[in-house]
Amino acid sequence: MALRTAYLVAPEADAADAVQDAFVKAYAALSRFRDGEPIKPWLLRIVVNEGRNRRRSADRRSGLARRAALVEPRDAVAASPESEVLAAETRDLLFAALGRLRDEDREVIGARYLLDLSEAETAEAIGIRRGTVKSRTSRALARLREAMTDLDRGPVHG
Amino acid sequence: MADRQLHQGPDAGLIEALRLIGPEIAWPTVAPSAAGRDLAAAVRERIESMPPPAVGFLVPARRRWLPSAGWPRRPVSRALLIAVVLLIALAALAGAAGVGLPGLRVFFGGGSVSPPPSLEPSRSPSPGGPGAALHLGDPVSVSDPAALDALAGFDVRWPSDPLPGRPDAAYVDESKRGQVSLVWAVRGDLPATFEPGVGLLLTEFAGSVDQGFFDKMVGSGTTVETVLVGSRRGYWLSGEPHFLFYTGPGGVVQDERRWVGDALIWADGPVTYRLESALGRSGTIRIAESLR
Repeated sequence: MALRTAYLVAPEADAADAVQDAFVKAYAALSRFRDGEPIKPWLLRIVVNEGRNRRRSADRRSGLARRAALVEPRDAVAASPESEVLAAETRDLLFAALGRLRDEDREVIGARYLLDLSEAETAEAIGIRRGTVKSRTSRALARLREAMTDLDRGPVHG
Repeated sequence: MADRQLHQGPDAGLIEALRLIGPEIAWPTVAPSAAGRDLAAAVRERIESMPPPAVGFLVPARRRWLPSAGWPRRPVSRALLIAVVLLIALAALAGAAGVGLPGLRVFFGGGSVSPPPSLEPSRSPSPGGPGAALHLGDPVSVSDPAALDALAGFDVRWPSDPLPGRPDAAYVDESKRGQVSLVWAVRGDLPATFEPGVGLLLTEFAGSVDQGFFDKMVGSGTTVETVLVGSRRGYWLSGEPHFLFYTGPGGVVQDERRWVGDALIWADGPVTYRLESALGRSGTIRIAESLR
């Protein structure tokens, strides 16, 4: 989960280092962890912060964004029996559209639906209020749908 | 042409599609570095080289652990212990494989994973009745199953196999949503488990995927086998003792604060069961399948 979260926000080459630094920083910051609070989103927030810092300093896209932007038909994701209900073309289109989103939109969609975090966990992990998760997710989904429509109208460009 | 429903339909269709592709994305995995160290080992090495973090305002521990060299020689908070374990565990989980039962998620940690030494229990027999020193909750009379059911909030199941017979002690931990523990004392046909004085320990707790999940950190010396308990899939954990923690509803971390030896874990409906015994895999499964 930590590595996937890093991949969502940090350049691919930096994701593992971001996780490693995040765990070490979390250990040093244990005194700020509130007893009884969920620890997973607290840790993921540190991972997200580390990942964002690395993305900004490297001035590069996140691993997920870069891979999505480079998607070619039918190679984005491996088909499984469960996903056979989605046409391969649709899966690739959806993944490619993720690559066209702004970072903040991709982060909230990624946290909620690709990593399957709850609204509360998403809010804590990406550092926004829970109400903002709802509104940002709604807007991000609308933009994702627009991106899919744009991509579907013409050839997919890397 | 792609599925138009995803373009024009409600968000539900789009969300479902995202959830379908989520597990299939080629997420990165942790490969050992050129130096041969994996992520978990690197994190552990860095943490072990650091001084213990201040526990500051954290809630005082309800009971003391016996610290080992390198760890703070004072009571440490539950949150700190849990967080340290989780840090190490989560680092390992970054490259770990996972398998799941309803209400249970078992993770296989990397070879370098081990719980902090401060969690080592004292290895002395329990004073009082069997299991009395294991902090399993409040003792309840084993002659009143109805009271046990009421406290647990679900129908507690008992082995019908003649070998164990009636348990010698029962406990309910209401802080863990009515977790029930049935304990049998050591005797000739029930050799001691990892817990001195305990020949058999059956733990039952309500849990499902929707209500929380349970994590088990398994060290390199623990073997995990998939088994069948009746028609249910279960896991037989044997070898070196392992440490158990889980997160309950809402992700609130709870821990069991003790090592566990050979154990069988399975789920049946909304209840998850763990049976600790020294009877071996087949003997333990036989007792598990006799639960009524």
